[in-house]
Amino acid sequence: MKEAEGFMNQKIIRVGAALGIGLLFALTLSTTAVAQETQVSGTVTATSGEPLSGVTVQVRGTGSRTVTDANGKYSLTAPPDGVLLFALIGYKGAARTIAGRTTIDVGLEPAVAVLEPVIVTGYTSQRRADITGAVSSVNVESATQQTSTSVLQRLDGRVPGVQVENSGSPGSRTTVRIRGVSSFQNNDPLLIVDGTPVQDTYLNWLNPNEIGSVQVLKDASAASIYGSRASNGVIIIETKRGRAGQRQLSLDVRTGFATPVRGYDDILILDALDYFQVMKVATENAGLAVKRNIYGDPNNPSVPDYIWPNDGVNQSCTLSRPTCSGLRVDSASYAVTADGTRLIMPGSPGTNWWKAVFGTGQIRDANLAISGGGEDNAYHVSFNYLDQEGTAAFTRFQRGGVRVNTTFHVNKVTIGENIALSRDRSYGGLDDGALGEGNIVGKNIFQQPVVPIYDINGYYASGKAVGLSNLTNPLKIADAGQFNIATNDRIFGNIFGSLDAGRSVVLNSRLGFNLGQGSFHGFTATTPENSEVTAVDGINENYSLFTVWTWSNTLTFTRAMNQHNLNVLLGQAASQGTSRFEAGSCAGLLNTDVDSRYIQDALCDPTTKNVTSSGGKSALLSLFGKADYNYGERYYLNFTLRRDGSSRFGPTNRWGTFPAIGMGWRLSRESFLRNSTLFSNAMLRFGWGITGNEQIPSGRIVSQFGGDRGDTFYDIGGTSTTIRPGFKTTAIGNPNLKWEENRSVNVGVDLEFKEGRGTFSVDVYRRNTNNLLFDPRTPATAGSAAPPIINIGKMTNNGFDFSVGYRGQLGAVTQYSVNFNGSHYKNEIVEIDGVATFFFGPGIIRDQNPIINQVGAPIGSFYGLVANGYYRDSADAAPFFADGARPGRIKFVDQPTVLDTIACPAAPGCVGLYRPDGSITGADRAVIGSPHPDFVAGLDLSVRHGNWDFSATLFGTFGNEIFNTQKYWDVFRYFDTNVRKDRLANSWTPTNQDAKYPKLDASDTWSRQFSSYWVEDGSYVRLRTLQIGYSLPPAMIRWIPVARVYLQAENLFTITGYSGLDPSLPAASVFGAAGDIRDQFRGVDQGTYPSNKTITIGISTTF
Amino acid sequence: MNKRIRNRLLYGTAVVMAAAAVTYACKDFLDQPAQGTVDEQTLATKAGVEGTLIAAYRSLDCSSSSAGSWGCAASNWVWGSVTSDDAYKGSNLGDQQPINDIETYYWSVGIADDYINQKWSQVYDGVARANATLRLLTKVRLEKPGEISNADAARIRGEALFLRAHYHFEAYRMWGKVPYYYETDTDFRKANDLSADSVAKLVIADLDTAITLLPAVQGDKGRANAWTARAYKGRVQVYRGDYAGALVTLRNVQTAGPYALETSFDRVWTGFTTLRNGPETILAFQASVRDGEPSGWNSNWGERLNFPHSGSYFGCCGFHQPAFNLVNFYQVDAAGLPVAMTSSAWNTPVPDSNFAGGMIRPVDPRLDWTVGRDNVPYKDWGLHNRGWIRDASYSGPYSPKKNVHERGCAAPCTSAAENNVGWQASQTNDVNIHIFRYADMLLLLAEAEVEAGVLENARAIVNQIRERAGQVAQGCGFGSGGSVDSALVANYPSCADSTSMTVALVQNPTLDSVSTPWAQYRIGLYPGPWTVQATARQAVRYERRLELAMEGQRFFDLRRWGAADSTITNYLASERVRIPYLALAAPYTARYRYYPIPTVQIELSRVGTTDRLCQNQGWGGTPCP
Repeated sequence: MKEAEGFMNQKIIRVGAALGIGLLFALTLSTTAVAQETQVSGTVTATSGEPLSGVTVQVRGTGSRTVTDANGKYSLTAPPDGVLLFALIGYKGAARTIAGRTTIDVGLEPAVAVLEPVIVTGYTSQRRADITGAVSSVNVESATQQTSTSVLQRLDGRVPGVQVENSGSPGSRTTVRIRGVSSFQNNDPLLIVDGTPVQDTYLNWLNPNEIGSVQVLKDASAASIYGSRASNGVIIIETKRGRAGQRQLSLDVRTGFATPVRGYDDILILDALDYFQVMKVATENAGLAVKRNIYGDPNNPSVPDYIWPNDGVNQSCTLSRPTCSGLRVDSASYAVTADGTRLIMPGSPGTNWWKAVFGTGQIRDANLAISGGGEDNAYHVSFNYLDQEGTAAFTRFQRGGVRVNTTFHVNKVTIGENIALSRDRSYGGLDDGALGEGNIVGKNIFQQPVVPIYDINGYYASGKAVGLSNLTNPLKIADAGQFNIATNDRIFGNIFGSLDAGRSVVLNSRLGFNLGQGSFHGFTATTPENSEVTAVDGINENYSLFTVWTWSNTLTFTRAMNQHNLNVLLGQAASQGTSRFEAGSCAGLLNTDVDSRYIQDALCDPTTKNVTSSGGKSALLSLFGKADYNYGERYYLNFTLRRDGSSRFGPTNRWGTFPAIGMGWRLSRESFLRNSTLFSNAMLRFGWGITGNEQIPSGRIVSQFGGDRGDTFYDIGGTSTTIRPGFKTTAIGNPNLKWEENRSVNVGVDLEFKEGRGTFSVDVYRRNTNNLLFDPRTPATAGSAAPPIINIGKMTNNGFDFSVGYRGQLGAVTQYSVNFNGSHYKNEIVEIDGVATFFFGPGIIRDQNPIINQVGAPIGSFYGLVANGYYRDSADAAPFFADGARPGRIKFVDQPTVLDTIACPAAPGCVGLYRPDGSITGADRAVIGSPHPDFVAGLDLSVRHGNWDFSATLFGTFGNEIFNTQKYWDVFRYFDTNVRKDRLANSWTPTNQDAKYPKLDASDTWSRQFSSYWVEDGSYVRLRTLQIGYSLPPAMIRWIPVARVYLQAENLFTITGYSGLDPSLPAASVFGAAGDIRDQFRGVDQGTYPSNKTITIGISTTF
Repeated sequence: MNKRIRNRLLYGTAVVMAAAAVTYACKDFLDQPAQGTVDEQTLATKAGVEGTLIAAYRSLDCSSSSAGSWGCAASNWVWGSVTSDDAYKGSNLGDQQPINDIETYYWSVGIADDYINQKWSQVYDGVARANATLRLLTKVRLEKPGEISNADAARIRGEALFLRAHYHFEAYRMWGKVPYYYETDTDFRKANDLSADSVAKLVIADLDTAITLLPAVQGDKGRANAWTARAYKGRVQVYRGDYAGALVTLRNVQTAGPYALETSFDRVWTGFTTLRNGPETILAFQASVRDGEPSGWNSNWGERLNFPHSGSYFGCCGFHQPAFNLVNFYQVDAAGLPVAMTSSAWNTPVPDSNFAGGMIRPVDPRLDWTVGRDNVPYKDWGLHNRGWIRDASYSGPYSPKKNVHERGCAAPCTSAAENNVGWQASQTNDVNIHIFRYADMLLLLAEAEVEAGVLENARAIVNQIRERAGQVAQGCGFGSGGSVDSALVANYPSCADSTSMTVALVQNPTLDSVSTPWAQYRIGLYPGPWTVQATARQAVRYERRLELAMEGQRFFDLRRWGAADSTITNYLASERVRIPYLALAAPYTARYRYYPIPTVQIELSRVGTTDRLCQNQGWGGTPCP
């Protein structure tokens, strides 16, 4: 099956390529139609209805052309089997076959996207102008100018109030946050794709090229129709649908090259002898003897010709050194042995480990779509193939997909479906973005420069000798993982039917389904070349299967009477999800060949076979209604009410009620503004509502019991063969669990001026989350069971977001548009119920915890000691000498933590009645930073000049901080890793007191304590996209009415003060018993796959 | 509204309502139970209670839910050995640096705090599991009176109480003032307002109850019986300084209990299946391998770093290296008695500071069962050599040995004690980790005899232990094959004919079975009688070090003897010239009597703005009164 799929994928790309080549040939070929000519006339209008003058109308393949008049009318003679081409600068071209007709009316779409007049806002559509909630539309056209596999990654900077985080790994996970963070866990927005709800942080199965529109519902008055799960906002995605009329075939092909935005070779020492100097000073400053085993005499070091593994005698050999006489290296004496005693490496003058792993990755993307329709049907069928090589060796993402969207009208009944089939595959097993220290981007990139990539026999080398780090060769990891393939198959879509019952009453029924299966095959190689050897290899594979169905039924009623406009929606929905996961592993492979990696008794050590499975079930029932009323499009009022029942809660707390109200006042319809020449539209909006969150694992209302062979089972018989099952409480239940509620208030203003060319929209909001669901860590005295999930407290997000835009014209042939959006939010934990006012974050990194959640501070605040320069001398360090303070080490603030009513406030350092305790301990930690930005902005520029178009998107985030845990390695040299280039020159010395780094000292674990020294400003501005396009004039290509070639660049430059690889950090993949808790671990840099600088060329054609 | 519209509205509403009714009709639609788990009622059986008890035993060593680092090891090698004069952290400077801080007495540094928290979490998880067993037992007895026989109920209760006592004892000897948790507790933020001695009394109270409930003999070797609890009670009494009480308790175990010393010292720490749980075992973590666990968690997880490094068969990681100070301590005089008993020069640097095999300096044979040193066979794995050491310039040339399994067969066969899964299967084995063994108990009794002034009883015990130690010495073994095998024979030609891992020490206590010995082993008995209490006390304490070295007891012994200050200070003073980084150690002061309570747990104990746990004196925070 896999081979067949791969073959199909290849075939698709070949077909695509063939079509592309065919198009190029077509450019040069042109024949003249010979036929009897007839008179054809018609009107050309914009999609908004107004007639368009000055449109060039041309008979394809001939010189026959005309221009529309002031009323948009044209008339010309053409052969009845010919094709008319319509072109107007600023609008997309169109082509129509004449097919014997004498009247052909055409609507042209603007080329520079403007807001769609009618948008889908949840079970119904609304005119943009009638919306009172906080709803933003995404400029889909602009979003296509990116190559990321998921549309979620293209929302970055395009929607005010929406934050997007992802890594540069192809196909990586995306974190989307709308208006801050409202929960301790599971803050992913609800996605509604063609009416079917789904929560998916990858969304790789959805081809971004198939997307017709994206709306973001940001406040409760807009989102509460989705009640449950809507508290994180809702993103409504509609895929492209066919339209009645001419069949259109479009082909988009593009290819490009990606490189990392920054590499460690920009940061770390590349020269082996430079690195030796760091090692030497660090060792000497620790009072230890400098090792001579690699570089020889510390005062006259040299890179050895060969480095021996640690055999206790020989460590290195430079042929000129006297100790090397008698030693020789030849391949005959070389073998890869289990104990690795013969692994000899050539000494490297400076290995560029970054370049060894990271380079250029190619991207290929082909899309073919056919759409059209008749009077009673419409169709859109598309095919997609994407092949994206990672910038890291052996990583790759491939996707192939088919989508079929059709609609049939039979009398008053409409039926149809939207179905997407897709398969994607990730190679290399790197998909969570934040790779920690165990993978190619993590600490393994910190190999010392003296270590070569390969040993003398061409096998991978690593730090086998004393003093080299005990890390694995990163290229080896990538190589070994190249067949670690994650495959995801998806069937997603819905079938729907509606009945126009007459008199504006419409019944709709929609059955949505989301069927997925995934698999992963992983391989762990032996590492005889490592200092810490892994001697047993192994494989692991897993399979997952899930099914989610949602059945919704709605009734809509629309009534317009004089100035009264009323829309009523009543509905009901049921949803059920089941999932199953099976995993197996086996160790000690007989043959490591990829074709032998199966869990079979004969292929690996059968006694190591292990299989586990798990699963989940959940269900949701909903009833909802909505009434929209407006008077003369002047006064707006709407009510929403939804009730949801969730299987995740106990019977008594199962049902949640989610009301919302929205109000609007169109000032521009009032007499005092009606005749305003400035404002063409002015609307005041107000919304209030409650949304819910139930995203916790099922079954947490009761305590769970179980165990694990490695946790509770025990060989009580003492024979090593009498392992007996043991049980413990694995999770503590809470029968009183109830819905987490999010109350939001939104006030907004929409302004349009200069006849709609200028727009301004601002929303100010307050979101209060109540009954927050979470499982704060319990004291260890409660045991190792997962703590109960409780409704723990309150959190607020206050903020605003705005966008301002202008579309203008310079001269006759130049149009431009500028859109700027910005947002700000302030997150604060207001209350934590129960006994504590804080709880720690989930992630321990090398024995330290960088995160706290504390009343008064935002979620996921950075936590640590407060650094305050360095200890200047012995006297300065003396008070904390016994704890480890020394001159040149980081000086920490001893916080006033001890209540001392007698000594305070007279005693030194007292704050109020609290005095410092005289020790630097964990009690002196404080909130030292926040990953939340003060301001996030996006700027969209678009210029069209004749056939040329130019667009750019800038993204900026300001005031957010990054906890740079990479300092463990590149500053503190934990595990003898490589360090930053300026580590030696900028270190503390008695004469360089204000240095950038503490004193180089190999035994300094004091300075390494998590402190504000690790926190950096994470602000940056990035040119997200830049595109230059040229629309080929219609006359140039005979068969192709519309063709556009373009060159685009992504992430061309980044302005930042951040010292790490990339300030654009993906959120780490962190899960707790309460679910996905990555929001408690954002802004923590653990070594990420950096973003890509991508240059792409492409061609879009329609024919 | 005209009639047609009304009809259509009614019709539509009816359809929606009908659809709603269909889903509501399935009343249990929203009852979606948790998957892959069981509820409490499922475990409310005898099997459930027994299984819960099994889980309580499992916490004796690190498990997959507790091991973030090696602070949870059953052997306490970090807390009882590395901090003492027995051993260094080992490995190299960069690896597991929290242990560097612990070894050099910077216990309040953040990374050390988390390591200390590992231990805290491990022992209190054990307490929680023991208490869960007691609760479930009570529930089953109440709800299903016939389910568990009275005898079984008493036994289960006794075992759970014993384990609860053990885990609290571990907490007590680490931190002194700790909270005591019962099965009825629901507030897990209890204050540690008891004195350390009161905690010890509560431990004894639980043990006393366990003694009355437990049978004298258990079918499963891993289970506690009444004698286990009695012996353990004596241990706690000694820790309390209640020597009179301990004398009564431990004499009873000595005379009436089922325990005895193994016939020879090599049989105490072993991977040979036939020798496990011999007469000397009082309480041990029952390690297992090849038991279907895919990562090897049930092996000697806590000890897995403590093997020779990559030049050796084991591959990793060179931790817990014996100290020069310890090796020197095994030197004996002409009578086979510790040089340290008669000469303060026992620890002066020897000419060959590496003390490698072949240098004939009479030593206690236990040296080569405790310490791996160059040119001496490493059990039956061939000659230990310098290539096995990760970084000798950092932490000396020695390897730990007790926790290492034997190959038991000629290379290339694999030891049955060894694992076949996980990271470095060769360093996970099923060697049981002794938590309390009979020799340990006898020496505690000897202490009590000394304090009671019955010096001859103490001498008898010490001699009993020395006699056993004199039975066999390290022999040639198989070697590990290939070049190392040939090195063994090249160095010691007679090893070509001898593959026995042990060699008998008879008559003349030298290694007379090989022509060029790697050591001259000598061990003699103390000739009687002992008349000076101080000398007797010293002899008992010295014997304790020789016998239990590297077993994680030493630092706790030093602290309870009150000898820690001078011993550690002297140790650091002499050892810093051998191990340069020890020069960086903080001066040893009174605050090291107890480890600091993990800061994170103090914070987690906070109720409102008050920390319910107070900190031990000298460690900042809000100190305990």
